[in-house]
Amino acid sequence: MRWFRFVVLVVVIAIIQSAFLEKIAFTDQHVKPDLLLTLVVFFSICGVSEAKKARLGGWEFNISEAVITSFAIGFVADVLARSLGPRIISYGLFGTLLAHLHRVVSAKRITYQALIIFITSIFAGALVALLTLVQQKTPATFKLLLWTSIYSAIAGPFFFLPAAWWMRIKTRRFTKF
Amino acid sequence: MASNRIRVSERMLFTWFTIAGFILLFAPQGLSDRLHFTFTKIFQWPLTFGRAVTLTKHSNSGNTNELTRRELQYRNLIANLQRQLEQAKMQIEQLSLLRARLPLQGAALMPANVVTAISNSELVINCGSEFAVQKGQFVLTDICIIGTIDAVDYYQARVKLFTDPASMIEVNIGKPAIARLMQGTGRNSAKIPNVPRKHKVKKGDLVYARKKAGCLDTPIIIGTVSQCRPDDEKPLLWNITVEPACSIEALLQVYVLVMNPQKPARF
Repeated sequence: MRWFRFVVLVVVIAIIQSAFLEKIAFTDQHVKPDLLLTLVVFFSICGVSEAKKARLGGWEFNISEAVITSFAIGFVADVLARSLGPRIISYGLFGTLLAHLHRVVSAKRITYQALIIFITSIFAGALVALLTLVQQKTPATFKLLLWTSIYSAIAGPFFFLPAAWWMRIKTRRFTKF
Repeated sequence: MASNRIRVSERMLFTWFTIAGFILLFAPQGLSDRLHFTFTKIFQWPLTFGRAVTLTKHSNSGNTNELTRRELQYRNLIANLQRQLEQAKMQIEQLSLLRARLPLQGAALMPANVVTAISNSELVINCGSEFAVQKGQFVLTDICIIGTIDAVDYYQARVKLFTDPASMIEVNIGKPAIARLMQGTGRNSAKIPNVPRKHKVKKGDLVYARKKAGCLDTPIIIGTVSQCRPDDEKPLLWNITVEPACSIEALLQVYVLVMNPQKPARF
């Protein structure tokens, strides 16, 4: 993992998320895609290290980097939402889970990537809402969560290619698994 | 001695980070605010630029928008002056022998640029405690109130718009004016609950923020009644929806109302 590039990418995405996405937001609830969550999904399904042959057969992935990136992106998302905790836990948990799942499932097609983003966004959003309630704050409505997930699923896969180019990740190598 | 790199297992990493997440979950809100202010301070230029770029879609309609905005400004100004006049008359009647202080005489309006919007009902502005800005102070634009200061840093402050679901502002509504708490809905409007139907309230009525010691010494317009119908669950009460008295979606500059400022104003 190229960590300097990762930090630059996360900072740029954080700025875009908080300042530039208003242009493509719609409805009075300002629905916009969650680029940071898309980034979590990207690093969890494309950012895992190359597989090695496991001793007991099959393949073994090193998912440590996916764990670190998921929690780090969650922390940045929490800073933007100025409510520390919910996204670190949620993004970290689902990012790690996705990286584990990547051992058995690979998302080569754009439709699969969109589906993964949608499902992750729904579940991660629900957990964020739950943890926000623990903090005795008002969580986002389910309607907003649903529209944000749909929007992220539509826009997210198109974001994978430039992210992979910037991170110098060869996405094609995953097609062989 | 081969390489001494410490290798931490994935499970250990996950456990550590999760514990850190839970510790942060119960960290004081001040820490979140400080981190957010630090982020907006470091990246102030790209955030302000981004906001200016994204708001161009609101200003594309040109002259019509400007005309509507001017009309709204004049309407708000007239409404505020009328209310101030009423208040002055009452003061003269009640305290005819005492010298009354004019409303907003000792107040200063601190201009501030909007750095970024956290959500559709919260803004970060580049004016903080450096200019005597404090929590609870009212924020205006186009001569009407749009929200209050929610958190303050030395250089920046966060504005909670009155449309935010967590916002509660005391307002006057109807004739004769009654005092009620107005709560935001999060959808560019606010609700005023618990208004009995015996009070005459109709669509288009003006809603004023109430006087608040140390923050506001005269009522100022905050919104207009956009919907007023009997409550479905409690038929003896009104269901009142209030919309802002100006456009609050495309704000680039606002003014913080500082009563009796200790420091000189910015301009």
